[in-house]
Amino acid sequence: MTQQIELSGVNKYYGAYHALRDINLSIPKGAFVALVGPSGCGKSTLLRSLAGLETISSGDLVIAGERMNDMPPRKRDLAMVFQSYALYPHMTVEQNLTYSLRIKGVKKAEAKKAAEEVAAITGLSDLLHRYPRELSGGQRQRVAMSRAIIRHPKAFLFDEPLSNLDAALRVHMRKEIRALHDRLGATSVYVTHDQVEAMTMADHVVIMRAGVIEQQGRPLDLYDRPANRFVAGFIGSPAMNFIPARTSDDGTSLILDLPGAPVLAMDLDLPPGHAVSVGIRPEHLSLATADMPGFNVPVAAIESTGAATFVTTETTPEIVLVLNGRSTVSAGETIHLTFEPKNIHVFDAGSDQRIEVGTVLTQAKTAS
Amino acid sequence: MRRILSTVRDGRGFDIVLVGVPFAFLFALAGLPLIYNILMSFQEVDMFSLGSFIRPFVGIDNYVALFRQPETWPILTNTLIFVVGSIAGQFVIGFGLALFFWTNFPGASWLRGLFLVSWVMPGLVVGAIWNWILSGDFGVLNFFLRESGLIEGNIFWRSDPIFSLWAVVIANIWLGTSFNMILLSVGLSAIPGDLYEAAEMDGANGWQRFWTITLPMMRSTIGAIIALGLIFTLQQFDLFAAITDGGPNNSSNVAQYWAWDLSFRQYDFGRGATISVIMTVFVMFAAAVYVRSTRHEVRG
Repeated sequence: MTQQIELSGVNKYYGAYHALRDINLSIPKGAFVALVGPSGCGKSTLLRSLAGLETISSGDLVIAGERMNDMPPRKRDLAMVFQSYALYPHMTVEQNLTYSLRIKGVKKAEAKKAAEEVAAITGLSDLLHRYPRELSGGQRQRVAMSRAIIRHPKAFLFDEPLSNLDAALRVHMRKEIRALHDRLGATSVYVTHDQVEAMTMADHVVIMRAGVIEQQGRPLDLYDRPANRFVAGFIGSPAMNFIPARTSDDGTSLILDLPGAPVLAMDLDLPPGHAVSVGIRPEHLSLATADMPGFNVPVAAIESTGAATFVTTETTPEIVLVLNGRSTVSAGETIHLTFEPKNIHVFDAGSDQRIEVGTVLTQAKTAS
Repeated sequence: MRRILSTVRDGRGFDIVLVGVPFAFLFALAGLPLIYNILMSFQEVDMFSLGSFIRPFVGIDNYVALFRQPETWPILTNTLIFVVGSIAGQFVIGFGLALFFWTNFPGASWLRGLFLVSWVMPGLVVGAIWNWILSGDFGVLNFFLRESGLIEGNIFWRSDPIFSLWAVVIANIWLGTSFNMILLSVGLSAIPGDLYEAAEMDGANGWQRFWTITLPMMRSTIGAIIALGLIFTLQQFDLFAAITDGGPNNSSNVAQYWAWDLSFRQYDFGRGATISVIMTVFVMFAAAVYVRSTRHEVRG
């Protein structure tokens, strides 16, 4: 597959501040890539560097086979959808759509036809003569998208385009953007702080923190095999539970630092007494009958959404679990928890990096 | 009585009082003089009848007589040149400076603040300083023009009928530029930065961004500034008094200065009032443009 965008060894400094650190990223033609991470992680800086609105300090930025490091934005042939939409307030929807064409000197009739075609795709046909101030948030969003589509650019850049919409519309637009991407066969780079958006929309998710790419890959690969504790905690909602643990003296099992928790027997290549962190997702914990192997924990709080029940335990660290549907569990009660041993993740307590483990067995016996 | 009191305290009465006080103030100090002035333009007014309200009514005789005077059209032409020249100069230089400071180099806002100095100076003082600068024999302007080879001999700015009006225009441009710059700076900073980024991504170069984003987004600001500029230049009086006194031979005389001259030096109050009425019509036109342009906001 041809690479539409390639970044190698890209660094960006703002004075002494190192905003992007050695970024390597290949985006194949037709891919939908999400850049995700907490605020200040550099995802927007990376997108703006692609756009040319920021210049990179070192490294190589190649778009469609051409080195673009010092190319001004207007010569990169990329379209961007801004968080604020950045619609031209003094122009009608049609003028907004045709702006790039008019700048290029496309004939009036031709530009008008192109605007009508795009408007038909995005459902703006009746709004072409309105001004942006006369549109709702969702409609403005569509105009911003249409303005990008009309250009047939080398790639679409989205900078948190849905964050100004209400929750229901956001879910709807998520699907619509993805459908549009597939229909146009476009290459898209999508910045978001919402991991659900990233997971549901993208083929390839890039998780960033403090200017570094922590991990990139297919959404479910990130969910199944997070490379480090940060990624493990970032992907998934509610977030993964982390329980401190250490290897036993004979080095064949993990002892969780949680009263009543089971000892996990496994193949480990770690010295005895080594500190680790064991991660288990809330949806991988379940209630068990008393005769099954498991451990007892007191319940601190119950939150129910109707479709699911979130249980928070009264332990240190606290553990969150998600139960499907409704539950009769109430605060103050003691519950018997169990989990599939294959669902646990082990991270080094010092480096926070993932430790691969072999087959894990839970032992019925509890640690003392 | 109690009902009136209670509505004043917390009802519509309070709103009426709030509107009424400034309205009464405006009527007493702007409305009445204006009406009185219009009335005077239809009367024969001299030193002796100045004190009385009932004076001989002469219809439009003042207007007819005024336009029969040989100096009327040259003075109105001067006024037009003064207004257009001043506004054009103030606007172009002010916009240039506003764009310059908009680049936000280190110390830009500090330096921009310094430009307001011209604003705190009284017109008469400005006039006195420009008298020195424009002075024919030892003026610094002549020195620079001569040294740079632009002129052969000295220009007697204030006493040469060809240059006298332009001497005042130059001083007035200096006086009004900072006001234009400040208002235009405010207008520029109100344009969201992401519009420029969007336009850049859409392929527009700097020149195209200026014509398609900056200028249209500044429309209301520019309209307001030109309207205010028209009002300010039509009331510019100090500079004429200080620099040319309207001379020589009315070559730098303008309507506002002439109205004062007729009323308070020649004591022909009727004609002075007539000129004021003519000017009022122009100012009202400017005010209408101003109100319209501030109402026509495109941001949103």
